[in-house]
Amino acid sequence: MASAGHRVKSPETVISVGLLVILFLIGAGIFVKQSDFDMGRFGIVTVPAGLPLQQAEAEEEEKPALSSLASEGFEPFSKTEFYKPENLYEKINGKAPFYIESGFEELSAQRFVNKNDQSLWMEVYVYNMGGVRNAFSVYSVQRRAEAEPFEPMRFAYKTSNALYFVHGKYYIELVGSAESEEMLKAIAEVARKIRAKLAVDYDTEIAELSLFPQENLVSDSMKLYLANAFGFEGLSNTFTARYRIADVTVTAFLSRRADSNEAEAVAESYRKFLIQNGAVRKNTSQKTMEGKVMDFYGTTEIVLSVGSFVAGVHEAENQEAAEKVAEILINKLNSANGNE
Amino acid sequence: MSKENDVKFDRREFISRVSKAGISVAAAGTAAYLLYDGKGPGPSTGDKKLVTLPDFSVPRRDGQTISIVTGPDRVKTVNKAIELLGGIERFVRPGETVAIKPNIAFASPPMLGATANPELVAEVVRLCYRGGAKKVYVTDNPINDPASCFTLSGIGKAASEAGAEIIMPKDGLFKNTTLAGGRLIKNWPIFCGPFETVQRLIGISPVKDHHRAGASMAMKNWYGLLGGRRNIFHQDINTIIAELAILVRPTLVILDGTSVMMTNGPTGGSVSDLKQANTLIASCDMVAADSYGCGLLGRQVLDLPYLAKAEKAGAGTTNYETLKPKIATVS
Repeated sequence: MASAGHRVKSPETVISVGLLVILFLIGAGIFVKQSDFDMGRFGIVTVPAGLPLQQAEAEEEEKPALSSLASEGFEPFSKTEFYKPENLYEKINGKAPFYIESGFEELSAQRFVNKNDQSLWMEVYVYNMGGVRNAFSVYSVQRRAEAEPFEPMRFAYKTSNALYFVHGKYYIELVGSAESEEMLKAIAEVARKIRAKLAVDYDTEIAELSLFPQENLVSDSMKLYLANAFGFEGLSNTFTARYRIADVTVTAFLSRRADSNEAEAVAESYRKFLIQNGAVRKNTSQKTMEGKVMDFYGTTEIVLSVGSFVAGVHEAENQEAAEKVAEILINKLNSANGNE
Repeated sequence: MSKENDVKFDRREFISRVSKAGISVAAAGTAAYLLYDGKGPGPSTGDKKLVTLPDFSVPRRDGQTISIVTGPDRVKTVNKAIELLGGIERFVRPGETVAIKPNIAFASPPMLGATANPELVAEVVRLCYRGGAKKVYVTDNPINDPASCFTLSGIGKAASEAGAEIIMPKDGLFKNTTLAGGRLIKNWPIFCGPFETVQRLIGISPVKDHHRAGASMAMKNWYGLLGGRRNIFHQDINTIIAELAILVRPTLVILDGTSVMMTNGPTGGSVSDLKQANTLIASCDMVAADSYGCGLLGRQVLDLPYLAKAEKAGAGTTNYETLKPKIATVS
């Protein structure tokens, strides 16, 4: 008969104690984690009352010092503001998801005002996009159609009141409050200062841009869609460029994949996607394009793979022009594949 | 089993151990039951008092629900648009207090069209006083720093000079609101303080492209009333806009398509994002106003799912032509 005070001393006891310790540690872990979870994920305000979260005014010495960018005759008009993905919406609201989906890391912004004329002011936006491809993507997708190139910078353009450019991993917007020569001159000066003061890695070339044939290419028409190009989920990292042939504009595209098998798989998926959405295959005299040319509600789509690239033509108004552009793109990609 | 455990229990010992185990399980279960919060955390740590916004709408009049006026001068077009709906006297009566809620979301110059036009806001303030208003407030809960938004948009100065009182967002002006039947607006802080003591509410918004919503017009303007971390609603932007159209029942909305932001909205940034459409809409039906406005952006009603959602919820009609719009041109 066992006594009431009997104590079991055995491996079972050790295991039991071990299990209790594990349970205690799990409990402690949950407690610690719960006291530090992101309430924002649940839509819970962690600041007093209902005001939006205010922008974090972080330590300036750790961030790009924008205050030193003031052009001659201008002075800082606000403190440098810093925004992370969590609060970017406080600055640009509905456009924030576009930047965040494109790799956005941080925005620094500051206003400068003309010392003699308060109606002349500009705002400098420095978006750290984490890499030159991301910066080029947000730059190119938003490029204003009527803009003029801002030479000698490569990825830069100006409008009547603003200047936009890529500087390494940064996408920069300089937006003026007025359309005037004085404003644009001041903006250009800020651009020069940014290029001189903001260190970037210039080794980060975007190789795909040189793969588009130059003949009939509309200058500054190249864009990079990081995801969901043409509404198709499988088409990521897709570059496009416009060509002008006999008054017809054709958009060519290419997307580098891991290898030729993946490229063909993506091309085939995209063709199926188009057909599911109403595209119909068309006859072609080009052997390399057989089965790859489609009519999509009156426009021509050509989708094929060339080595490790998915390439083709999107929404062309004219099949002849579409095939011509596709042919020169295929030739260029073939030589690129041969060189790899 | 080890030898140490190879022991026999008597009945008393067995009952004692089972009872202790049972009590332990029951205690743990009771504690969990008492600590369990079936409702989960609320959306705000602020004032828990739930309020609803008053209904500011005016009785419908056949053929005087929506007016569309073309012309480059906003002062002229807004006067004509309101005249076509029966005049300001229909919307503001002597001695009443009016709140005007322009879109002042950004600290952006008027030239860029990211915010309501200051001259238009000022003219509506003057019209309200002409209608006999005792007091006119101009207010918004901007996305950017409020003081900068009111200043740099030019609306603060223009509205003040026209005699309006500016109300900036402050903690005490937000109260938690739940929209009956709503899916997103539940116990959520709403900027409702300025509207609790007024009899009329007028919304003024530009027609803009919007990266997330497709377009920002009269209904999207009420997004400015949301407090808290409102960006989470971007995940379901169509539902939140439709719910706002149910929550807010304005007297009148003025949709300014004089200069339309065609691309890169809602912030824009370049004058080249704008196109002169020279059209201004005044409407007692926000859904109808936005349904017409989306055409100025080159879009169709089907391109903006929130329009159908709002229509289904009873906020108005997407088929604005059935309202027999009053149409005019002023040079």
